[in-house]
Amino acid sequence: MTSPTKIQQIQAKKLFIILFIISLFLSHLGLVGIEDSSIMPNYFIALIVSFIVAKKAGLNLFKLVTIGLIVDLFTGQLIGQYGLIFMVIYILDFSVNKILVIKYQKQIESLSIFLILFSFVVLWLTSQSYNVFITPKILLLQSIFTFIAYLFFKALINKFISR
Amino acid sequence: MAQKPNRSNLKLFNRDTFPISTFLILFFLCLVLMGSDFRYQILKQIRLEIPIIIAPINNLINLPVNLFRESKDTFVTKKLLKEKITRMEEAIYLLSIKVQENQLLKSENNILRNILKIQKNFNISGTTAEIILPEVRNGHSIITINKGSKNNIQAGSAVINNKGLVGQVVNTSDSYSEIRPITSESYAVPAIMENAKQNVILYGNGNGELVIPLFPGSNSIKINDIFVTSGVDTLYPKGIRIGRVTEIMPTKSPKFNHILVKPFSQPTTFSFITVLKIKND
Repeated sequence: MTSPTKIQQIQAKKLFIILFIISLFLSHLGLVGIEDSSIMPNYFIALIVSFIVAKKAGLNLFKLVTIGLIVDLFTGQLIGQYGLIFMVIYILDFSVNKILVIKYQKQIESLSIFLILFSFVVLWLTSQSYNVFITPKILLLQSIFTFIAYLFFKALINKFISR
Repeated sequence: MAQKPNRSNLKLFNRDTFPISTFLILFFLCLVLMGSDFRYQILKQIRLEIPIIIAPINNLINLPVNLFRESKDTFVTKKLLKEKITRMEEAIYLLSIKVQENQLLKSENNILRNILKIQKNFNISGTTAEIILPEVRNGHSIITINKGSKNNIQAGSAVINNKGLVGQVVNTSDSYSEIRPITSESYAVPAIMENAKQNVILYGNGNGELVIPLFPGSNSIKINDIFVTSGVDTLYPKGIRIGRVTEIMPTKSPKFNHILVKPFSQPTTFSFITVLKIKND
């Protein structure tokens, strides 16, 4: 794993802003054929996981909390909820990379799935809903859709940020 | 000549120091913010005071539909308009007959109410609005309508359509309002069975249905029984249709049943709803 260059960081920041705006609109739109809104992909989690795992946009805890607050302002339930989730994603990725060598694509995808699932658990624990336990079916379906969104973002990162 | 790649900045492990103090401070800050928001509804207030946060998104996602409608209006032919007028005239005629029938029933009802000395007023008045996008916000179902505080819509008002109860207004801005559908998880409405005296509370289950978690097994209930608002909360007028019983399941306790109710109103985007006025008395 190599550190991103300055050009890569600038490209990544621009791409991040564009994808953030796209996610903002997508999070307000339903998907054709999916009636149950609770299984809709969480585009923001997918976006943050893809950028944190790719380590291109130079995201740190302060930036993530700020982004989380912006997400909360537009689409959140509580101020601070997404800041907390993004921080947890960052810390988990940081810790895993401290303990393990994440080198191959399969390892990166496994780490992403783990981060997505864990962020959903945090989202569910901090949810305002009175329904305390999320059903495994909903968690699985939402995670699958979010992982697909993550793959989409990852493909864009690989396409538009020079190696 | 092939060059060897520069591997001076190659990192196998993350060697940065763990930002534990920053993490703990920000973690605590987020928890404080969440707690304060939960208690003082800060986010709701911000969205109410600064409509510019939501308005551009709402305008942009509704733009294609609005453009389509405007262009359709521009290119509509005289023949089509004539056909539409004829259809509407027929509809008005049929409705006027129904109004006469209703007026007769209303006058009979008034006479009976006077005899029985029932004072309850059933007048339902409100503002008609159209459902627009967005219908979902980050995984949560919402109903957005094209009228807001400018049109005297207040948070907390009940919302109905021609099929029955739709939900309750939870947020209002100048031009938009958000409605929590009756099937959302945090929704509850006092109800009564049509032609019965059994008062219950129906809860949304988040999956497009309403439930009664513990319905006494000693009370009779069957599939297709209809629930209407009981009016005991004074928020919803009495008698608005809510839904039909679709499933009766036994619970762990033999004394209770779990009832599933399918709502009558399935409001779709770009259909009309009525926001009822809150009575202050």
